[in-house]
Amino acid sequence: MDTKRYMNKNDRPLCVMTVNGTRRQAECEPRTTLLDFLRAQPGLTGTHAGCEHGVCGACTVLLNGEPARSCLAFAHQCAGLSVETVEGMATGGMLTDLQQAFSRHHALQCGFCTPGVLITAEHLLRKCPDPTEQQVREALSAHLCRCTGYTGMVQAILDVARARSAKQR
Amino acid sequence: MKSAAFDFYRPSTLTDACKFLSDHQGDCRVLAGGQTLIPTLAMRMASPGSLVDLSLIDGLQAIRYANGELIVGAMVRQSGLERALKHQAHQPVLSAVLPWVAHPPIRNRGTVCGSLAHADPSAELALALLTLEGRVLVQSTRGQRFVSAKDLFVGTLQTSLEPDEIIVQAHFPMLDSSAAVGFSEFGYRHGDFAVASVLLVRDPRGVRLGFGGVDDVPLAFDMTDAFHPAAVKERILELARDLDVRSDPNTSSEFRRHLLCSLGDQAIAQAWA
Repeated sequence: MDTKRYMNKNDRPLCVMTVNGTRRQAECEPRTTLLDFLRAQPGLTGTHAGCEHGVCGACTVLLNGEPARSCLAFAHQCAGLSVETVEGMATGGMLTDLQQAFSRHHALQCGFCTPGVLITAEHLLRKCPDPTEQQVREALSAHLCRCTGYTGMVQAILDVARARSAKQR
Repeated sequence: MKSAAFDFYRPSTLTDACKFLSDHQGDCRVLAGGQTLIPTLAMRMASPGSLVDLSLIDGLQAIRYANGELIVGAMVRQSGLERALKHQAHQPVLSAVLPWVAHPPIRNRGTVCGSLAHADPSAELALALLTLEGRVLVQSTRGQRFVSAKDLFVGTLQTSLEPDEIIVQAHFPMLDSSAAVGFSEFGYRHGDFAVASVLLVRDPRGVRLGFGGVDDVPLAFDMTDAFHPAAVKERILELARDLDVRSDPNTSSEFRRHLLCSLGDQAIAQAWA
């Protein structure tokens, strides 16, 4: 066995990754999920722990630029990777256009699912700048909102897509 | 909802992975994408003493074509295969089923071979491998061997593999350029587990019909005598009537039988479009 690559269940090796462009590290057990790694970091509790088995989507983050459930990856598997969370969106205390649209369209009620939804929505708009309502709804189907606020979310996302493409022209 | 503690091994070679799995037989699980294994651990439905992670092993990310087969390595993510197949006409079955495999955030992590190893009876990839008469290459300390899809799936979440064997490749036969495919699925939400699904592959040899979600394993039927859509429809109606169809708290057998017929109609319409 290659012992350098082995962690005992009680070991807490240092795990280092890039979160929102900043180097973050923690000593964590093999079983620590990416979700728990993130939430234990100062100022990074925006990623919400919902069902913790991949169903609800509240903990969705971008892992090397692609949406992934942070509850379904172990932190040590993400060592060296780049993670983007909801905290990476607003800069200098200014909400992004997408976040402002969510507020304007009442696209959140309790707000628990919102961090994951924003990540998915931002990724959708980057990949597909002019989505149809059907595409938006399909992307949102990866998320559960217990307040049933989907209509507002769809409107907010379509609104941002329109505004961004108008700006491009 | 936290996993029990486990030892974690992240080897750089398959040989090391197989050796570790063999040394910890029965108490070690293979981790690839983890999209099923990690929830299983979190819910403590399994608490193995150790996990062996395949993600740092070179060569398992490859997708290639050889001898009329599409060969998919153990660490190929479902979304990676989906992207790779965008311009590949000879693999219409996988292009048809992959968008139905869970939601994109899950497909971004989940692997093709992991889905086969998990052997969920409603899994689209298991249905595709079986209907295409594909096979998997498995490795252990005893060497490598091929297992056909027909012999691989033996029960709900059960394969015929030994506990120390790792699926290192999935081999999906390529189709003739004249082949046509129909696939239709019903789930309560797109991306959820299939309640029932029907896959039709039509080529010069005849028609292969696959059913997902109706039994403990995916089912496939050869219809070398049924070249006409009406004959296929007739056969689907017979099967939907005669098969032992499972029920669960959300969906009765009766409803699943009904679904097989209507999904069958949609699949026929696609395959004869």
